[in-house]
Amino acid sequence: MAGVTIKHLYKRYGKDKHAVVQDFQLEIQDKEFIVFVGPSGCGKSTTLRMIAGLEDISEGEIYIGDQLVNKLPPKDRDISMVFQNYALYPNLSVYENIAFGLRMRKLPKHEIDLAVKNASRILEIEPYLNRKPKELSGGQRQRVALGRAIVRDPKLFLMDEPLSNLDAKLRVTMRMEITKLHKKLGTTFIFVTHDQVEAMTMADRIVVMKGGVIQQCDTPELIYSKPANTFVASFIGSPQINFIQGRVQENPQGKLEFHTNRFVLKINEATEDILRTNNQVNKSVILGIRPENVKLEGLFSETIITGTYIDNELMGADRFLYLDIGQEKPLIARVDPDNRFSDNEKVKVELDVSKAHFFHKDTGVRFAE
Amino acid sequence: MLALSVIMILPIIYIFNHAFKPYHELFIYPPKFFVQEPNIQNFVELFWVTSNSIVPVSRYLFNSLFISAASVIGVTIVSALCAYPLSKHPFPGRKWIFATIILMLMFTPEVIQIPRYLVVSNLGIMNTYWGHLLPVLALPVAVFLLKQFVDQIPDSLLEASRIDGANELTVFVRIVIPMCMPAIATVAILAFQNSWGNVETSMLFMQDDEMKNFPFFLSTLTNNLANNVARQGAAAVAALIMLVPNLIFFVILQSKVISTMAHSGIK
Repeated sequence: MAGVTIKHLYKRYGKDKHAVVQDFQLEIQDKEFIVFVGPSGCGKSTTLRMIAGLEDISEGEIYIGDQLVNKLPPKDRDISMVFQNYALYPNLSVYENIAFGLRMRKLPKHEIDLAVKNASRILEIEPYLNRKPKELSGGQRQRVALGRAIVRDPKLFLMDEPLSNLDAKLRVTMRMEITKLHKKLGTTFIFVTHDQVEAMTMADRIVVMKGGVIQQCDTPELIYSKPANTFVASFIGSPQINFIQGRVQENPQGKLEFHTNRFVLKINEATEDILRTNNQVNKSVILGIRPENVKLEGLFSETIITGTYIDNELMGADRFLYLDIGQEKPLIARVDPDNRFSDNEKVKVELDVSKAHFFHKDTGVRFAE
Repeated sequence: MLALSVIMILPIIYIFNHAFKPYHELFIYPPKFFVQEPNIQNFVELFWVTSNSIVPVSRYLFNSLFISAASVIGVTIVSALCAYPLSKHPFPGRKWIFATIILMLMFTPEVIQIPRYLVVSNLGIMNTYWGHLLPVLALPVAVFLLKQFVDQIPDSLLEASRIDGANELTVFVRIVIPMCMPAIATVAILAFQNSWGNVETSMLFMQDDEMKNFPFFLSTLTNNLANNVARQGAAAVAALIMLVPNLIFFVILQSKVISTMAHSGIK
């Protein structure tokens, strides 16, 4: 069991030495479940591969436990990795696939047998031990890949988008199984995904990345409720957070208001303090509000705005309304599925400004307390 | 397609029939396709006639079988060892080396006969089995075929085995080779054909008759004779002997070869 410390990690490629991972710094606690999440090409897999030793480090240091592993080959790092395409040896049976790592470490036969049986019992793949990988379904293959990872009892588990090749239903099942496995094994897990749902549901802490740079590293709750910037706010949450461009202005009573070209919103006291502290009065800002905080007309008339109905998406339990409010993108409201509207109908919605975030217009950084 | 396959198989049937024809049938006009009175006189002639000579036919056969077996093993190992790093280990000049190998596919054997002679001669391996073996060990088409196959092995598979603790040799032997078996079967067939029908090494590098191979013997059976009737029966049998191992080798490995075609997109 071990934590991982990453200090000023860089990865540069090509002649122009373009950095795909830049100044990556992270302290992962022992037994923690960390998820790297971000869009394609954000450097999350490259970082994972550097931790695994499959990719050279251009600059920086990686420690597994107290040991500096920069120059250590993958086999000496005491890690296990699960790949997106399972990476099962097609010529070997399930049993041999799981036993491969133990055989390489020249363990006695009875110990290998015991470990393989134990791992296959945990993952419920005992009936398939004599089959070849091609005779298994996607879910079963993923379990074998997990079996191969857990059988060696490593210090660290690395998972590179292991659920991406599974169908939606199986993905949910495997998601829960991996979480269960983490609790049972009590080992440090580093999980890479581009799926924010996986990140939110599995992680102890999420590392959101973009362009090789960590945008935010926090618990799922904080990532969702206190996003560091517009990127994190838009990447986490489905449907996406609404961004409204506007200007903070002081009214004759000395209260702050959020002005757009179509409407004015009253800003609550707590947020007012934040904006004043950050010196944003009479400046353009971006207001971010999640669709669940946009409701059909409610109690507070100061935060009610009118939009024009464009479209809707029925999700079963909810309906997402798309309303034109004169912004670049339509405002999305999460409403009860029984509400129906016709095209171009005027719809009044109330914005829960106490749950809204304000971001810097140029840098996209959230104004925090 | 059926008509075409019939046309393709006719020469094979003809060779089988021809070997069992008695002398009068061999020279009958118009020639008959199928044998009328099959006998094994030609086989007796081939082995009996040559049993009195200085070098019996069995020696030529042994030489050929030994050289072919050694070349199948050698070519497969050398080609696989060449293809794997070219495919999976980025090193400076990798593309140039592969391009050179591809370029070598375009050389006719005559072009490299003199350099080959010089190499074999300078190595002092004239009149040895190495003289037969070394010139055929480098088979560019085999390297090309195997490299294309190794390219398709996902990198993650090799990475997984490295994380599991395998060294490069283990990765090569336990993962890469088993996954390339169809291509290796094809390479084995190519190497066998290349070596089994090869008279060049016997002609150029072997002055000692005992070291020459069966195809060379076959070419001397009917050539250089005063008439073109003598030993035609023996020649017919020898032609059959030349064909049969190829046929057996192919039949054994054919399912793998078809799999190679499917993989390499030749299908």
